[in-house]
Amino acid sequence: MITENNILNHSDQNSVIEIKHLKKTFNGNTVLKDISMNVRKSENVVILGKSGIGKSVLIKCIVGLIQPDSGSLKVFDREVSDMNSNELNILRTKVGFIFQGNALYDSMTVRENLEFPLRRNKILRDSHEIESLIVEALENVKLLDAIDKMPSELSGGMKKRIGVARTLILKPEIILYDEPTTGLDPLTSREISNLILEIQTKSKASSIVISHDLNCAKITSNRMLILHSGVFKAKGTFDELMNSEDEWVRSYFKTE
Amino acid sequence: MKLNIKKIFRKQNNQIQHSADNIWLDTFLLELGGLSRFTVQFFRELFRPPYEHKEFLRQANKIGLSTLPLIGITAFIMGLVLTLQSKPVMAEFGAESWLPGMVSVSIVREIGPVITALICAGKIGSGIGAELGSMRVTEQIDAMEVSGTNPMNYLVVTRVLATTFMIPILVFYADIISFYGSYVAINLHDFMSLRLFMNLAFDPLHYFDLIPATVKTFFFGFAIGLIGCYKGYYSEMGTEGVGKAANSAVVISSLVIFIIDLIAVQLADLSSIFFN
Ligand SMILES: Nc1ncnc2c1ncn2[C@@H]1O[C@H](COP(=O)(O)OP(=O)(O)OP(=O)(O)O)[C@@H](O)[C@H]1O
Ligand SMILES: [Mg+2]
Repeated sequence: MITENNILNHSDQNSVIEIKHLKKTFNGNTVLKDISMNVRKSENVVILGKSGIGKSVLIKCIVGLIQPDSGSLKVFDREVSDMNSNELNILRTKVGFIFQGNALYDSMTVRENLEFPLRRNKILRDSHEIESLIVEALENVKLLDAIDKMPSELSGGMKKRIGVARTLILKPEIILYDEPTTGLDPLTSREISNLILEIQTKSKASSIVISHDLNCAKITSNRMLILHSGVFKAKGTFDELMNSEDEWVRSYFKTE
Repeated sequence: MKLNIKKIFRKQNNQIQHSADNIWLDTFLLELGGLSRFTVQFFRELFRPPYEHKEFLRQANKIGLSTLPLIGITAFIMGLVLTLQSKPVMAEFGAESWLPGMVSVSIVREIGPVITALICAGKIGSGIGAELGSMRVTEQIDAMEVSGTNPMNYLVVTRVLATTFMIPILVFYADIISFYGSYVAINLHDFMSLRLFMNLAFDPLHYFDLIPATVKTFFFGFAIGLIGCYKGYYSEMGTEGVGKAANSAVVISSLVIFIIDLIAVQLADLSSIFFN
């Protein structure tokens, strides 16, 4: 049902991310060979691919954490590699990034973790406003009672959700999720997948979700891409790819 | 045939030797270049808001609390031992009354600053290297970067400022405790009032001793903070990377402390000739 909606949705809308012929090599090891893709406004694109194939590298290029060797990478119609550090910082407040390993600041409490980007970016000065935003963000991920805990006191799934809350508190227009459900039990995975969907519908944000988790892909995706040896080998909706004529594509959807 | 093999072998050996030299030189120059760039970046961030007073105070507090007992004990022993060791020599010359003055000059000029700086390099430098290193490895620094929060400003500036201002204070504290150690040592066998001891100790100290000795401690602090941060901030990935960052932060900053000390001595010498 979701996918039907989305086929209708992604007709002629502007792209918020546009990548053309992107290439990245690490000391002779070509990770991304020729990547072209786009993400439209309020669209969820799921990227599948084997471990170590370069999915994380690709989305790190989008926020300028890794510099690509060649090709064009535009976010909101601006070339990322042409930005100076100030412009890049402004862009980064509009693009949320959820790390594969959570990357919670382990010397800070959950509250301070959420407060940090708000305070440092001078988005809000009023402490009441900041507090209410923190509470709202934690309620969104149903973890309000963890507000005064340290990251080391949280379970893996809780950390993931706090990571999501910390990213969402800046109300980004684009969200990049790096394996948001990996290592979680099916129930929590589904909760997070639903959360991703909810964020998309509520705030009209666009996202790229990297995932091995088929259920998550099914719930969240409008479109899917399969990354293999440096290029996108297949594109389509979840149903299209699952029922693909290509045996190789179908192999990604085998559950046993 | 035999000769040929020998020749080839020697040639290969030479090549290996040569490339090994190059690697050392390369890493040295790379490190130097990286550290210089990092220093420039530090000064650029230093004057850029937001100013993190709270984080600065937290770091300064942490530095003080973590090193106070260690420096206290070491300084006390240094003063005590230095006095006990010098005592027989001074007694031989009948110059026992110069003992406090001699000890105080060596403590204030050299031993206090260097010992304190080395302890701090070991304790604080490695701590900063490991902390920032593990933040790099667990992508916390990347996370700060992608939320537009400028981690260089938040993490590095506060820590370097904290070490720069805390080391001089710690050196002052170490000097005082060393004096007390010396006083105790003298009173182990003889009796000398604290007042007389202080008079004798402070008498030979001039501004020429105090100013260069104090100025160099700021540089010691700066070097410890900067090198620790640099090593941690650009730590290699993996647990091993964190260990390496902590380790090389200590090794390099200890070395740099001696180099700064050498330069400071030369400069102090020059200026004393100039002013006299
Ligand atoms: N900073 C880096 N320096 C050198 N090589 C890197 C770097 N980052 C990634 N790589 C290499 O790029 C390749 C792709 O890594 P990446 O982290 O993108 O994989 P991935 O698709 O996200 O895998 P996983 O699903 O396991 O997270 C790997 O072979 C990795 O060794
Ligand atoms: Mg990855």
